[in-house]
Formats: sequence, structure tokens, C-alpha cells
Amino acid sequence: MSRGDQIASTGLGRLFRGQTAIDFYGKRRVGLTLAVIVVVVTFASLFTRGLNLGLDFEGGDAWDVPASETFTADDAGEVLEDNGISTVGSRIQRRSGDSTDVITVQIEEVSREQADVLTNAFAERAGVDSEEVGFSFTSSTWGSEITDKALRALVIFLIIVSIFISIRFEYRMALAALAAMLHDVLVVVGVYTVFGFEVTPATVIAFLTILGYSLYDTIVVFDRVQENEGKYAGIRMPYQDIVNISMNQVLMRSINTSLSSILPVVSLLLIGSGILGAVTLREFGLALLIGMISGIYSSIFVATPLLAGLKSKVGRKARRERLTGDNLRAAVIGSGVTGRVATAAAGGSDGHGHDGDDDDRTDRDRGGRDDDAKTAAVLAPAGKLLTHPPRPRKKKRR
Amino acid sequence: MKRRLWISLIGTIVAVVGALGGNLATGNEPILGLDLQGGLSVILAPEEDASADDLIVVRDLVRSSLERSGVAEPDVRVQGSNIVVDLPGVKDKEEALRSVSVSGIVELRPVVNFQDCAGALTDPTLTADGTPLGSDQVITVTEDGVVTGEVAPQGDDPAVEPAVDEAPVDEVPSSEPAGLRRSAPDPTVPDDSTAPDDSAVPDDSTVPDDSTVPEEEVLQLPSNVGVNGAEFLPTLDGGAVCLGPSQASGEVFERDSASVALGQLGGFSVNVELRNDGQQAWNSIATQCFNRQPTCPSTGIDQNGSSRPGQIAIVLDDIVQSAPVVNVPAFDEFVSITGQFSQDEANGLTDVLNRGAFPVEVTPQETRTVSASAGGDSLKAAIIAGLIGLSLVLVFLVLYYRLLALVIIGGLVVWGMTVYSAAAFVSGATNYALSLAGITGIIVAIGVTVDSYVVFFERMKDEIRNGRTLRNAAPRSFKSTWRTIWSADLVSVIGALILFSLSVGSVRGFALYLGITTLCDLIVCFFFTRPAVLLLARSKFMVGKRAFGLEVASS
Repeated sequence: MSRGDQIASTGLGRLFRGQTAIDFYGKRRVGLTLAVIVVVVTFASLFTRGLNLGLDFEGGDAWDVPASETFTADDAGEVLEDNGISTVGSRIQRRSGDSTDVITVQIEEVSREQADVLTNAFAERAGVDSEEVGFSFTSSTWGSEITDKALRALVIFLIIVSIFISIRFEYRMALAALAAMLHDVLVVVGVYTVFGFEVTPATVIAFLTILGYSLYDTIVVFDRVQENEGKYAGIRMPYQDIVNISMNQVLMRSINTSLSSILPVVSLLLIGSGILGAVTLREFGLALLIGMISGIYSSIFVATPLLAGLKSKVGRKARRERLTGDNLRAAVIGSGVTGRVATAAAGGSDGHGHDGDDDDRTDRDRGGRDDDAKTAAVLAPAGKLLTHPPRPRKKKRR
Repeated sequence: MKRRLWISLIGTIVAVVGALGGNLATGNEPILGLDLQGGLSVILAPEEDASADDLIVVRDLVRSSLERSGVAEPDVRVQGSNIVVDLPGVKDKEEALRSVSVSGIVELRPVVNFQDCAGALTDPTLTADGTPLGSDQVITVTEDGVVTGEVAPQGDDPAVEPAVDEAPVDEVPSSEPAGLRRSAPDPTVPDDSTAPDDSAVPDDSTVPDDSTVPEEEVLQLPSNVGVNGAEFLPTLDGGAVCLGPSQASGEVFERDSASVALGQLGGFSVNVELRNDGQQAWNSIATQCFNRQPTCPSTGIDQNGSSRPGQIAIVLDDIVQSAPVVNVPAFDEFVSITGQFSQDEANGLTDVLNRGAFPVEVTPQETRTVSASAGGDSLKAAIIAGLIGLSLVLVFLVLYYRLLALVIIGGLVVWGMTVYSAAAFVSGATNYALSLAGITGIIVAIGVTVDSYVVFFERMKDEIRNGRTLRNAAPRSFKSTWRTIWSADLVSVIGALILFSLSVGSVRGFALYLGITTLCDLIVCFFFTRPAVLLLARSKFMVGKRAFGLEVASS
């Protein structure tokens, strides 16, 4: 039978075997400070620079250029780039009716002079008179109604999700999850405002995707926290320890999931927009990438420390120092199974007490104060914590 | 147990492959958005000079009408002095035109005595007994004979006393009557809301490009106008009423405020809010009708035998949509129209009241096909990049989970097929288009789907490392994993449901695909992954092989 009892010597090995003992809670100040800095920068930039809203939000200028064999949408894009206008925020479409066939170019509003220059440039490229190039202003397509309704829906969604998390878990987890989510969305909004990327309807969708991803990731972590909470209910484990144990247990899962989520987005960014040149994918992919990294960061360094902070204020006081180092490691390994941890000294009769033979630590703690016994239960090797130790399969006749 | 697992596993595969095959065989595929595939574009031109603000209002109204009629994620904007409507996934020009023919001024006209329309009776086209309706009513027919307009039946129901017969509709205020009698005409009602005479309707036939617009043949009886501008107009159910001149337009109502509600006495009622500046105009007519003034005389007798107050007709495109009796002299803010509506009728009236708020009338000018705006290569690039990313993920997972990664690969294939089938089905049923944002959203969903497996396998790894056998660990791990997954996925599903039902435009499309991918994740996890892993854990196949980086012990 393969047992993971021996601790791997390298960090990677420990990670792989789920034997890490990182004191996440101890690093909460660093994590939270970083989060606060990011949020402050975002707000500062939002108020000073604002967001660079795209064509669909603000409207712009439009040209109708007669299309021909020699003038296609690609040519129109080249004309824009020759005049120093990025094609990322512009929209070039061929519109053909029964009697008309035009290339419609829409870009963000430019000065009159530049508009005239562009009109002439289009005419020249298309080989038509500049009179034939229709110029007009174009309005936004994303009306305030869409924003209003989306915001209203979002608020209702957040309220209902808070209620759901409060019922399924507890209200403090709802608060922490929403805080983490807010952090993630603000990080991405911050990147957009600081670097002045153009916000398109696709970007808004990316924001929403990140919002959902962040909540999802946080809940997966919280679920483990809650499970461990129940597991240690018998021995009144301090909450910080539960958080630390849970985080270490889900660490490998977090890394694997993050890699699986981020790899396609990186591919979208590097291959889709880089090598294959689909520029529309670039900023969208960037928003998603940053948002996902932030989502993983926030569920570890924002949501859980916040939760531990909220919980430590209520109820029991920590009876001892946080578990760290090898003690934490033992707990992480020990509770990685389904079942309940109970005090060996107090429980005694329920079939999973300590023999005292295979572990020195339990020997030392035995007969000590109640607290020590409780701590000892946590440190017991995993095999002893199974509610029903695996027994050899009986050879049944079938 | 084992048998049930096999049934679940095989049943899922058969169902998913069958659904995909069905979709492929019938050519049912997801509609792609404007940015990926283009679509049809219709140019709407205002009938008269309109201010930029008016056009913006019309833009919003057109978009919400389109969404109500089931065209999802249209791109509507004002370009120059026209409104350009880009419709994704619409291939048929007539369908495009039909869906954008949403404008039209709603008029409010008092119902007057039949005698006022006497002038019309002298017209030879009317039947001798004074039946005002005949083939001469406004009938709008497209060139292929599809009737798009409201057709008045061929005079089968002589409407000599029209208002009496069809006034099941009456009107109660939902707030206390103000008690004020306003009879002065309201100066805030713009001039264009006054009765357009019969020349207003045939304007449809001035559409210049008749090859792209269904040929509309508009027949209008010119001489059905009686004294004081009174004229016969058909009602929806085939009767006709004699109406006085228009006194106000649908602009008295708050935009988009009309809604259907269940009435107090059962049946449906339509509630609509009055605008602050529309209140006077509305109350001016209401007072005339309530007081049975000559401009809006009593048209019948109520249950008690006394004469009933007059009626206000709500007219769209010269067809009377509803002619409720005014039961109070003045309205505060809300107007509630009750009567024996069917739900469809109530919905129809709601739409009319909402669309009636158009400040200017717009008519379709021309349809054009639009090319994809994101550039033709974007879709291909997204798919290629997505597939490369996916294969990288799979390589990683195979390296990490070894044999168990087979389950992930199988699960992802099943998931992908389910998502495709669901997207195709939804596209066929609701016209929701898959935009570039939607495709990247699906690529992101791969990560969330893979997470289900990772959570599951990591848990199993923990259990096995702690001494459980694979056979023992698998069902226990699934139990706790399932709890995690449905909790986390349910949040996404809640989000999808709320965003889908409450928002509009591309946010709604996003919600749809979020919901589809998440539900597919849950379904695949329970009906495919669970049986697959449990069966694998029971079999001798895994014994002695490496999975999770641990050697699986024999049990």
C-alpha cells in the first residue's frame, strides 16, 4: 500500500504530495496591503483619467466609401493605419445592398481636420471623387438603457448570491467572497484605466466573466474551509489554523485549475492575437488573463484572510499560537481525508484513539492538559484519523 | 450499483452524440454574432427632420422593440440623420424588414357619434346599409401575399353602433382621481401629434427602393372623413368606429412603462404611466370623455341604463387598438386599462403603448448585407488559439494525472458536444447569436470545467495517500467534490438566470452562454465523470498503474 507518510525533501515534491505547510494567514498583511494598493490606484486613475470608452459607448465618425475590386475592407484598414489610427477600436464592414456596395468605416471621433484628411485618403485609395465618400457622425450602440439594466441585474445578482452563500455557508463568507470579487473586477478596471485600453462591449463581457470566475474560485476554497471547520468542530481548532490547513490542502488544486484556465487564455493572447493577428482578441484576452490571475490571488490572499479576520473577532479566542512549520504540515496531511477529527484523550472509545506507539508527539502530549490533547489530535498521523480505517476486503462469495 | 453506473455512462454518451448528430443532420448550428458573421442591415429614415436627441430615443425604442420581438443583440445606432439597424443571424430580407417595422405614431382620438362620419356614408364604396367597412380599409400586403398589417375582415360585422358592441374595455385609475377638470388643450403636446389625415398612411409606399422593401399596396378610402375631421377606422377585431380628430400622441405615456398585470376581477389589465408633461394632454381628453362633451360623446349605455362616458381610442397606423371607456375625469400618474383581454391581446396593447412613444416616425429605406466587423480571421484565430490552449491543458493534465486524464479528455469531449448542441438549439429557438466575446467566454469555461476534475482528483489523491484504496476513495471523494461543484456552479447559474432575465443586449447573450456552459459542466460531471471514475476505480485496470503520481495499490 502506498502511503505518503514520509515528507518529501524538495518543495516541489511536498507540493505534489500535498505536504506543503505555508503560513498563508501569517502573510495576510502583505496580501491585503497589495490588494488595497491596487484598489486605491484603480480609483485614483478612474477619477483622474477615467475609462477610454470605445465606439459603441461614445459614438464616433463614419465614412461610407464605395467598395470596388480595388477597395476592400483591408484597404480601408490600411488607410486608417497610414493615418495613425489604430484598427483595434474601429469597425470596418462591407455593406452591400442591391444598388449600393460600400465599405463603412467607423472610428472614434477625430478632429474635423483629421476627418477631412481621412475623407480624402479614402477617396484617393478607392479611386473615387471625395464627394462620393459619405461622412457622418455615428451614435453609440450601447445605450444607457443597457447599462442601467445590466447594473440593476448585477446588483440583484449580488444580493441573491450573498443570500445563497449565507445560507449555504455563512454570511461572513459572503462578505469575504464579494470583497474578493470586487477586488478582481477593480484590478482589471484598473489595468484598463491606467493603460488607457479601449473599453468595448466585449470588455464589459470580460469583466462579467471575471466576476463569475472570481466567485467560483473563492467558493471552491471556502467549501474546503467549511468542511474542515466541521472536521475540527470537536477540538475547537482556532479559525486561523483551519484557514491555513484548508489553503494548503487546496493549493495543488488551485495551481492545477489556474493553469488549466490560464493556458487557453494565454494561447488566445499569444497565438490568436500575436501570431494569427486577430487584434480584437488582444485586449479581451488581456483583461481575462489579468482577471484570472487576480481571481486566483484574491481567493488566497484576500478572501480567506478576510474571512479568518472576520471569524477571529467572534466567539472563541485562540488558545495557543497558530500552528506553523511541521505542526501545520502534520495537520494538513492529517485532515486530508473525509471524516471527523476528535480528541483522542477525550473521545477515547470511538475506535481511532492513539496507540502511542507510532508517534512520539502523541506520547508527549498524552496526559497533558486538555488543550494539548486537542492539539495532539490534529497532529496525529492521517491513518489514525480515518473514521473507519480501511480494512482488507472480505472475500465475499458472490 | 455497477449496472446503474454503466447505464448512466452509456446513456449520457448516447444522448449527447445523438443530440449532436441530430443538430448536424438538420443543419442546426449556432448563429454567429455580427462581429463574426455579419448579418443584415436596415436603414431607417425619419419621416421628418428630427433632432439628434429624438433619434437617440428612437434608437433605444427600436432596440428594445427588437429584443421584445426576439431578435437578440442587434446593433442599432444613429448614423448621420438615419438609424442603422444591424441584425445578426437574419438571412431573409423580408424577415429583417418585418422585425424593424416597429415604429408608428400612436394617436389618442375620442370616439364620436356615428353620425359624424355620415359624410363617409355617401361614398359609393360603402354598403347601402351604412356598413363602413369593406375591402377599402387599410390593408397592407407584401408582394408575396403575406399579410403584415392588420387586416380588417370584409365587413362581416356591421358596426353601426360600434362603440356599444365592443366596449368590454373600460378604464379605471389606479390612483385617486385628481378631481381637476382640465379642458384647455395642452400646449406641451407637440403639433405633430395632431391627427395626420389619411395621407399619413400611404407614406409607406414612398419607400424608394422597392426591390428591397416588400411592395406595399396601401388602399385608403379618401372620403371616409366626415364632419370635423371625424373618420371611420377599423378595429383589431374587425369592427369599425367613428373617431374625432387626434388630440394627443402616445408620447403622453412614459416610455417603456406599459406592462401587463392581472386585473382585480381576474383577466388581464394593461398599466401605463403618464409622463409629467403628458398628463395634461391625457387628462384633457379624459375629462371631455368623462363629461360626455360633444367632442367625446357618450357612446352607449351601461349596466344601470344611464349613459356611459365616452371612449378614448388608441390608434396605431390608423387601426384602433383599444377604445376604453373613461371612468374617471382625471388621472394622476397611472392609467390602467382593464377588460376582457386575452393575454396576447394585453401583450399586444402593451407593445403598442410602449412603441407609441416614438417621437418621430421612421420608415425602412434599404436593406444591406453586412460583413463581419471583427475581420473574417478572428473566428478562425479564436478557435485555433482555443484548440491549441486546450491541447496544452490536456498535455499538462495527462502528465499530471496519467491514466485518469483519459476521463478528463472524454469528459471534455462530451462537454464540448453538449455545449455545441445546446448553443445550436438555443440559436434555433431564440435567435441568440454567439459573438466573439461568447466564444472566448466558452474558452474560459474550459478552465472551470477542468476544475471539476481537478477538485475531484485532488481529493482522491489525498484519500489514497492517507491509506484508502482507490475503490473506497472514489465514491467518498465524489460526494464531497459534488458538494463543492454544485455550490460553486450554482452561483454561476444564479448569475446567468438573473442577468438573462433582467438585462438586455450583449450582457444577455453572455448570461445565456454562461448558463449553458455551467449547466453542461454539472450534467457532465454527474452523469459522465462520476460513473466513469467510479467504474474505473472498481476495475482491475488501474491496479499497479500510476495515477495522480501515486501508484495505485491493489485492494
